[in-house]
Amino acid sequence: MPIEVVLLFAWMLVIAFLAFIACTFEDLESDIGSQSNPNSQVQLAAQVGQINRFFNKAISGEPLSNAMYCVTAGTIAWLLLRQFEPLVPGEEWKAAVLAIPIGVLAATMINMIFSTTSHCGRTAAQKRFEQPIYLDVLYGHLIPIGAHAFMTTFCITCIAYIQSNIGTLSGNPALDHPFALPLLGFIWGITVGAIGSSTGDVHYGAEREFQDRPFGEGKRVVYHGKITRYAECGVRTQKDIAGFCLKFGAPCTGMTFGLIILFENWRSMVGMQLGGFLPALPAFTATGDMAAIFGIVLGLLIVAALMVGNIVFVKWVRKKYGPFVGV
Amino acid sequence: MEPVMMILIVGCVVIGGLLASLGAHLLPVGGAPAAMGTATGIATGTVQIMLGAVMTGLFTAASVATFTDSLLLVSLSGAVGATVMMCVVMFMANIVYAFGCGIVPISGRVDVDPITKEPQAPYRTPQTDGHGVPNVVYVSGAIGGFLAGFAGALMYYALLNYAHFSAGLAAIVALSIFVANAILAAYNIRGTIEGFHDPKFKRLPKALISSFAVSLLCGIVVVLAATILGGAL
Amino acid sequence: MTVTPAVIEEEEPTKKGLSFKFPPEETEMGLIAGIIGAVIVIFTGLPAVIKGVGLLLVLLWGMDSVRKTSKYGLGTGVPSIGVLATGYGVVGALMGLAVAEYGRVGQLYPAVLVGVIVMGAIGLVSGIFANGEKFIAMKIPRLERAMMELGMAGTLAILLECSILTGSLSFAAVVDNVMTTGLIALLFIFNCFAMLHPYNACLGPDERRERTRMCAVEISGLICVLLGLAMIGLGTSPYGILDGVSLVVFGAIVWVVFFRMFIKACMDECYATVGTGLIKTIE
Repeated sequence: MPIEVVLLFAWMLVIAFLAFIACTFEDLESDIGSQSNPNSQVQLAAQVGQINRFFNKAISGEPLSNAMYCVTAGTIAWLLLRQFEPLVPGEEWKAAVLAIPIGVLAATMINMIFSTTSHCGRTAAQKRFEQPIYLDVLYGHLIPIGAHAFMTTFCITCIAYIQSNIGTLSGNPALDHPFALPLLGFIWGITVGAIGSSTGDVHYGAEREFQDRPFGEGKRVVYHGKITRYAECGVRTQKDIAGFCLKFGAPCTGMTFGLIILFENWRSMVGMQLGGFLPALPAFTATGDMAAIFGIVLGLLIVAALMVGNIVFVKWVRKKYGPFVGV
Repeated sequence: MEPVMMILIVGCVVIGGLLASLGAHLLPVGGAPAAMGTATGIATGTVQIMLGAVMTGLFTAASVATFTDSLLLVSLSGAVGATVMMCVVMFMANIVYAFGCGIVPISGRVDVDPITKEPQAPYRTPQTDGHGVPNVVYVSGAIGGFLAGFAGALMYYALLNYAHFSAGLAAIVALSIFVANAILAAYNIRGTIEGFHDPKFKRLPKALISSFAVSLLCGIVVVLAATILGGAL
Repeated sequence: MTVTPAVIEEEEPTKKGLSFKFPPEETEMGLIAGIIGAVIVIFTGLPAVIKGVGLLLVLLWGMDSVRKTSKYGLGTGVPSIGVLATGYGVVGALMGLAVAEYGRVGQLYPAVLVGVIVMGAIGLVSGIFANGEKFIAMKIPRLERAMMELGMAGTLAILLECSILTGSLSFAAVVDNVMTTGLIALLFIFNCFAMLHPYNACLGPDERRERTRMCAVEISGLICVLLGLAMIGLGTSPYGILDGVSLVVFGAIVWVVFFRMFIKACMDECYATVGTGLIKTIE
């Protein structure tokens, strides 16, 4: 197999690995700030009289907020790359090593600014429910939120950088993705947020926020707002939650995004390989069409496998757990 | 620009808008209650999960569009990409529900699963509207993802190859039109929906009419812009 | 599920130094922002700082429209309407840029306003469909007008940002500098946030319009900083690097002033601001 093709597959695996890390940290970041859907309970808690020491980070939904951080990081990195790359001809990676962390740092600052405004704004709007602003909660959570967001944004920006240069990196510049770095950051920011909010939030919202309620049932409407306010020792803040969700929810979320990136890139590249498109790249010919067809067929096979897997899994869970027996 | 092209662009945008609206109604969206295991479906909003799915599809569609110029292949690539995303998300959500919270995936709107004929009511927690992603919802979500991804990639292809936009512009304009339709559909759904077996699915025609009008107008705007510029891109 | 606040016209006396009463009423705000924004869009030769002021006003207008729509509860959360506004804005900006060459006088582009008007019409149509009894029937008072305003504000904002980044509104320049480079993603997402974040962040029964508007101005300041950096990077301004630097400085000053003002307002107006403390126990 030619070295270009091997490099292409190697970079694809690097991207999938980065995706795993990115989404794991994304879920933890949203849990620390109680962003997205479980935030409705933190918001509701004060209204039903449950004054709490949770951080109320309501920066819209996760997809949009993550898209914002990744686009900021991507834009700043792209601007710096434009300045630095001509300085190191032939060794463009040196520019990337400097540009990407600076861009991500700027995005982290923006994340912390938005976190502060949303926590203060939402708490101030709950004046009549007697929910105070605890300054130690405000300051104490900003650094963990920023640190986790740094990891997420860093990985996503790296993915975007690799994908916008994947052809150059593996020796076939025609394979570079047609979208520019900021736009790729936007795409993967939206996706990582959508996955983080749809998979990872369940562990935080359905289990950790209601840990003193019976295990193994959907949380009833009467529980809503009555969140677990006390920790194993003392009053619960969201720093306790990161440790809990890291044990199950966050890795599952990371795996979801990692699998999606892996499947998506893998089926495209195996399709190219099977269609005879690599490494000569005869675009807009029958070979190109064949590569696309193989990619689609492989995708459909993956979908079918997942569908069968879900049917088997649901059947197994129903058998093992049995009907509802509580009151 | 010849009239055939113009009609083609408007047609693609309108079809894309209608499919986006239909896809939004098929996606099982539980919203915030789903994150607490109080409603069936994916634990996020309609617009959010749709954007995620379509963006994944659009990424693949854009790379496929660099080496093939067949409308069907590009659109199908986008559709399959979005379906893969939806399927993995729903499967992993089930795993988190089952092992993280001990919850069985159950539909809240029907007493018997229309596809596998499994009884649902005895497994449901009282005072909830179902939880998890049961099989019928899973199938509905996969179809919804397919249609949404197809819509996004179709609009991207039409703007890229018929209106001759650059790749970045085509992506962002396709996304904008798509988002407008998805949000109108989300307003029609109002919170949660389980899929094609949900009673709320009967509200679909209202959203389709609105989508048709808005995408027609957007399509005309795009055609006017493309005509005036006349390949000056 | 966001908690829908009760609709209350709150008129609390505020402490001195924290009130931000420009212009006091929503319709006046719309008129002022719309007219000033439109004038600044047409004159593309202006320095970036003035365009930044226009952008600030237009985004404040958009945020006001989001606020008056969302306080009735949308069913899908506040963010969706801000994204809708920006989505319309991109399509409208495309239309405006396409016709920009017609009737052009030097650096004046009066025709771009066609895009704003077209988008206002599309917004109106979608508002009628969304609110109509026979269609989606959202039953939100004045939704038609709010959606029209959102379409217009979104378009003006995108056009102003394009004009800041390229120094002109010629389509070729915008495509080269904004679309192909992917900067359009930056414009898209930050327009969304400037419109949706203030109300989303201040949501609650004790929300106060003036406080929410401080947050909007603060985010506009951030946008100005980022746009200024992008301008310096692109090097497209007719006034050289000084134009971008001045925009960055302007944005930073606006951000610092309004961020401090907003946080101070929040801490003064909330139930209590305490260093630390235990929570109230429930029997």
